[in-house]
Amino acid sequence: MNALRVLYHLTRADFLERVRRYSFLITLGLALFLGYSIASGQLTLVVGQHYRGMLNSAWVGGLMSAMVNFFLGLFGFYLVKGSVSRDYKTGVGQIMAATQLKRPIYTVAKWMSNFAVLGAMVVVLMAVAVVMQTLFREAPVIQWWALLTPFLWLVLPFMAFTAALAVLFETIAGLRGGVGNVFYFFSFIIVVTALSAAVWLGASPALDLMGMGILSRSMGQAAQAVYPNYDGSFRITWLVPQFQIFRWDGIDWTPEIILSRLALIFVSIGIAALSALFFDRFAPARSQPSRRMENASDSPAPAPALEAAPRSNLVLTPLPAARARFRFGALFAAELKLLLKGQRWWWYLVAAGLLLAQLCAPLKSVHSLLIASWLWHLLRLSKLGCRETVYNTRQMIFSAPRPLANQLPAAWLSAFAVTALLGSGALMRFLLAGETFSLLGWLTGALFIPSLALALGALTGSSKAFEALYVLWMYLLSQKVPAFDFIGLTPQSPLSAYVLLSLLLLCLAFISRSTMKIKTMR
Amino acid sequence: MKLTISQLSKQYPRSVWGLRDFDLELVPGVIGLLGPNGAGKSTLMQILATVVLPSAGTVKWNDADILKSPDTLRAVLGYLPQDFGVYPNLTAVEFLEYMAAIKGMDAKSARSRIEELLVVLNLTLAAKRPLGGYSGGMKQRVGIAQALLNDPQLLIVDEPTVGLDPEERVYFRSLLSDLSGERIIILSTHIVSDVEAAATEIVLINQGRKIQHAAPENLLAQLDGKVWQWTIPSYELPTLKQKYLVSGIIRRENLIQVRVVSDASPSPEAQALSPSLEDAYLHLMQNGDKS
Repeated sequence: MNALRVLYHLTRADFLERVRRYSFLITLGLALFLGYSIASGQLTLVVGQHYRGMLNSAWVGGLMSAMVNFFLGLFGFYLVKGSVSRDYKTGVGQIMAATQLKRPIYTVAKWMSNFAVLGAMVVVLMAVAVVMQTLFREAPVIQWWALLTPFLWLVLPFMAFTAALAVLFETIAGLRGGVGNVFYFFSFIIVVTALSAAVWLGASPALDLMGMGILSRSMGQAAQAVYPNYDGSFRITWLVPQFQIFRWDGIDWTPEIILSRLALIFVSIGIAALSALFFDRFAPARSQPSRRMENASDSPAPAPALEAAPRSNLVLTPLPAARARFRFGALFAAELKLLLKGQRWWWYLVAAGLLLAQLCAPLKSVHSLLIASWLWHLLRLSKLGCRETVYNTRQMIFSAPRPLANQLPAAWLSAFAVTALLGSGALMRFLLAGETFSLLGWLTGALFIPSLALALGALTGSSKAFEALYVLWMYLLSQKVPAFDFIGLTPQSPLSAYVLLSLLLLCLAFISRSTMKIKTMR
Repeated sequence: MKLTISQLSKQYPRSVWGLRDFDLELVPGVIGLLGPNGAGKSTLMQILATVVLPSAGTVKWNDADILKSPDTLRAVLGYLPQDFGVYPNLTAVEFLEYMAAIKGMDAKSARSRIEELLVVLNLTLAAKRPLGGYSGGMKQRVGIAQALLNDPQLLIVDEPTVGLDPEERVYFRSLLSDLSGERIIILSTHIVSDVEAAATEIVLINQGRKIQHAAPENLLAQLDGKVWQWTIPSYELPTLKQKYLVSGIIRRENLIQVRVVSDASPSPEAQALSPSLEDAYLHLMQNGDKS
């Protein structure tokens, strides 16, 4: 009984701490934007090449569930991850470590809190589904069971799973930071889609974590009954074709499906409880990283104090009068050092290998290598704009002369320089081949990437937003989606829009920095 | 060299005042800013360090309004915040080089000043180690070093001795005395002994308002003949606390030696003592006199 009480209060306190943050409102706003994109038809589900269901309760519920599971499954992880890290940073963890709190109770409470946050977003999107069906009036009568059961059986179990993975990643030292964020993205894309495809091909629904296979199979059967030419495909898309409509009355919720979804919830609880095995209970000695991880995690292991307090009398040599003449070059070099410091030798080896490959590979592969190179420094760039907040150096830096006019441009320029250097092989190839469009694309990319990093870092005060968004952006770029092409990979690439966007992002970074809670006087 | 604060106020959301109608004029010396936690010391420090904007009032550095042109002050400012961090992958030298570049120092001056500071702050042996492995005291010394990089004319140190061990605390107090001279040093703390050791002037602050600004000897003079000491049985202490301001107790088996601030002798056995700064601080905080 006492354990349940502890669990309740841990979950409640963690949930309240999160929902009372300004960032939670932004999160709900993003959920609403996702709902609006779906309801307005900008983002939709296409069965076959151009079929969709009539907008009845079953279809709206199914459509919304597929979207929620895909987007919240991916981004929800990044939104809820960070709760354990916050306890490390605030020192609350140290206080909890001194109590009788059991590790599984702590990790399960964190799971419940994660699940509650994701659940709040799901509730917002359920409301959007109701509004959507009411507005479109293709089937004006709302059938609540058909509308809400996909949320109940497909969305909530997958959100439970996502919440549990966030706890697991946070308790494993190597996955706690940016490496874990990137790893999750690729795992999500590969594993979840592969399992959904397996279910679509006839494997047990128990394998279908996201429920996409269950949905696509049911919707596909309904489409095929009306359109025998249906090719079996099923996709989420931004490019909405001219639709042909079929009627779909929802998933036949067999006991096998329901049991598999309930099992996913229990598996999630199990993962959360098992995370306790990796959880160091805020004891630095237990979580002391290996030499390799030490460098990856930006937190060198504590070393014993080498020196006792100083004893000599302090007499400082007066500085010459011309001491405050600002040198941008020195600050740029210092920012560059800050950006690159702490990398292991193999990071440079891979970067050099990618650079060499850009110089030697066939011209048609150079763009792909450029994408790989520009993804390689993700974890370095993600500190841009937020380093001062993350490491609490703001007051010292903002009390120096002209912090906005000096430090921010130097930080951006250092990131631009590293981005340009990592892609310099491709630049030479494009120059030699006289590929003007690719050259313009290269330049646009080199401008856009540091601008995006700086703006997101300054706006959010965290590296997570850039890590999640940039990986997705680069993935869509590698899939040659024109709207996301900022390097001139496709002929439809909107390069001029990206140049404009880069300038806007820079302005946003400056505005954000100048209106931070600790107000800087310009 | 003069720092003039006039009618300075800072209001936070929900009508919470961090600072209210604060006036002060400072000249070279070590100024101890003393007050309980939440008195408004850090708010004042952050405004003077040009990182927080006040709601009202002015701050002038040699007649230049720092709210309008903060860079006038920033060029000669050294600031050690109460709560600060460092970049864990940089060494002390690299971090100080970075801060020197941020402050706009030329390379030659920066190099020689960093070497000098590493020696006097006894960080030479650890200078090439990543800061992530430093102890709290060593990090604090790095913080002090960055504040002194540009040979500041105005040095602001906010609760500098929190987290330091006794030896380091003693060192830091003497460091502030060594640094005084042709510069203004503002030392903010709630630890009376820190101020007692280093300050040439003391500003008492409570609930965002200035309580008193005086030299330590003038503060002590206000309590001449008003501090008493005698021994009482333990059970009498609660009653005594209700009647008098008890500024110190020492337990001796079943008896307690009490130190009391009172205009008249509180007991026939009481002996008059020389007042300490702690007596004066407690007395003024309780009475809330403004001057």
